[in-house]
Amino acid sequence: MWTLRVDNLEKTYDDGATWANNGISLSVQSGEVFGLLGPNGAGKSTLVKQIIGLLMPSNGSITLGDVDLVTDPDYARQLCSYLPQAPMPITAFKVREAIDIAGMIRGGSRPEVQKRRDQLIEILQLEEWRDTLGTNLSGGVKRLVGFAMAVVEPAPIVILDEPTNDVDPLRRRLLWQVVRDLGERGSGVILVTHNVLEAEKSVDRLAIIDEGKLIAEGTPSSLKNDDRGSLRLQLMLPPGSRTPPLPSYIGENVRVGNNVVGVIPETYAAEGIAWAQGLMTEGIADEYALGATTLEDVYVRLTGERSATT
Amino acid sequence: MTLSGTTLPAKRFGVSHWFAMFAQLFKWNVLTLRLALPVLIMVQLFTGVGMVLGFSLLFGDINEVAVLYLATGATVVALVTVGIVVGPQFIAQERLQGTYEWSQSLPAPRTAAAAAWTALNVTIAVPGALGALAAARFRFDASLVITPLVIPAVLLVLLSGTLIGYAYAHTVSDPQTVGLISQILIFVIFGFSPIAFPATNLPGWFAAVHRWLPFQSMGDVVRAGLTNGIVTTTTRAFVVLSVWTMLAALVSTWAIGRRP
Ligand SMILES: Nc1ncnc2c1ncn2[C@@H]1O[C@H](COP(=O)(O)OP(=O)(O)OP(=O)(O)O)[C@@H](O)[C@H]1O
Ligand SMILES: [Mg+2]
Repeated sequence: MWTLRVDNLEKTYDDGATWANNGISLSVQSGEVFGLLGPNGAGKSTLVKQIIGLLMPSNGSITLGDVDLVTDPDYARQLCSYLPQAPMPITAFKVREAIDIAGMIRGGSRPEVQKRRDQLIEILQLEEWRDTLGTNLSGGVKRLVGFAMAVVEPAPIVILDEPTNDVDPLRRRLLWQVVRDLGERGSGVILVTHNVLEAEKSVDRLAIIDEGKLIAEGTPSSLKNDDRGSLRLQLMLPPGSRTPPLPSYIGENVRVGNNVVGVIPETYAAEGIAWAQGLMTEGIADEYALGATTLEDVYVRLTGERSATT
Repeated sequence: MTLSGTTLPAKRFGVSHWFAMFAQLFKWNVLTLRLALPVLIMVQLFTGVGMVLGFSLLFGDINEVAVLYLATGATVVALVTVGIVVGPQFIAQERLQGTYEWSQSLPAPRTAAAAAWTALNVTIAVPGALGALAAARFRFDASLVITPLVIPAVLLVLLSGTLIGYAYAHTVSDPQTVGLISQILIFVIFGFSPIAFPATNLPGWFAAVHRWLPFQSMGDVVRAGLTNGIVTTTTRAFVVLSVWTMLAALVSTWAIGRRP
């Protein structure tokens, strides 16, 4: 067992003009899938690039077990495998070659790497493109190949910066499966994603980062704890219309685009439905939905409060 | 790397790790350029041969010494342009496409990466140099000789050229600027360096500058290795080139180990 500890990490760009990370502390255990969520520009990629040793922290420490990753970037690169958010340089590679050589550079033995490569090609359903050159691949398949390159020879820490970008819903599921499996094999996985609902099912713990600060951290269910005993009521309003006055039993609420999402106590479910149906009959709302609160609600509440007030 | 244990895998280092990584990265480099590689080698070959044949057309009947200058000069140009001009453009391209960071994140020693890069550049450069020599031999019956000196001379030219290119391509993070520097260098090498002609043909101040730049020394050491009696002493040239190589290696080490 080992633990990655990020302690009070600060990173500024442009001589202090941009605070990309502003005192972030978190830890990831071996065997754990850890989600990193947050709006665009929150500082997620900046954080993981410091772990892998591509960027120098302005302040704070990063350790894995008793290894100081900041002072030993050579070892850091061996201990962390990485799928960057940026594209991978595989235009001239056949899919299987790209995965093989990535595994060999990570120190795998040829037979093991080839075996695992075949498994990944099969699990991610890439057989069709096995011998296709990167330049002829679609965006999503390229992304999946990059993902396979990062996990073919998994390091103690596997960092995936938005692995599901451009990937179709079916293969996204397959990818999440591989991610879970990485955890079971003993790696600690750091997963940067915008896909809150899918992350909810795949991560053990997660952190939400906003404007360089960690604003929430815990298991998906602990983060939803505040919402226990509550339901989410979502109203879809006609484009451009104003938010109608809300009954007092609707607690916290946010408006995102034409959607109003509010939290109501379970005991008010019937009243809520009646009220929403009334709005529909009057043409004030187009549709409504009542359901269990999701991590996305928590996410929108936490990160949306700021965008709503500013 | 298996994760079955309860402790972290040990740090990989040492000579055999270095060579294993060198081999993998060289393969990676070759495959990355596999679509462009045949074209690149052909272009280098044409540059080498073309320079010999073209310049001779330009100047008509040329004397024995001029032929030797041309033959060895074209060889040097072929040896050096890949590392100092073409290579940096590839690195700039990586930055433009955003793939630079991934290369930097690989768990290989930086020196192994630099060595693999040098090996790639050598692979592309050598056919052009051989082409230039062959053209001079067959077209002009150039009286070239091969002395043992040619080995360190060629190696040093290849190494200094590649490392100078590697150093500026990794130090300057703006790809456009890297492109510009490579353009200026090609201009200086082809047009304004005493590589294929004696430095005495240059205005005094310019010749003085070239005593400190690497290009004239590159010409001198290779010429000393391939001809008899044209170059009298190579000590200074070897020293100048070695200093440039070491400087470039130092700057490269700093640049690729740097974390912004
Ligand atoms: N090289 C850089 N130079 C200057 N500022 C930068 C640089 N890289 C990132 N930034 C800034 O740092 C902040 C955090 O960027 P970062 O890429 O870490 O965000 P992110 O959370 O990964 O966003 P996204 O979800 O869009 O990928 C942003 O304000 C960004 O503009
Ligand atoms: Mg990012």
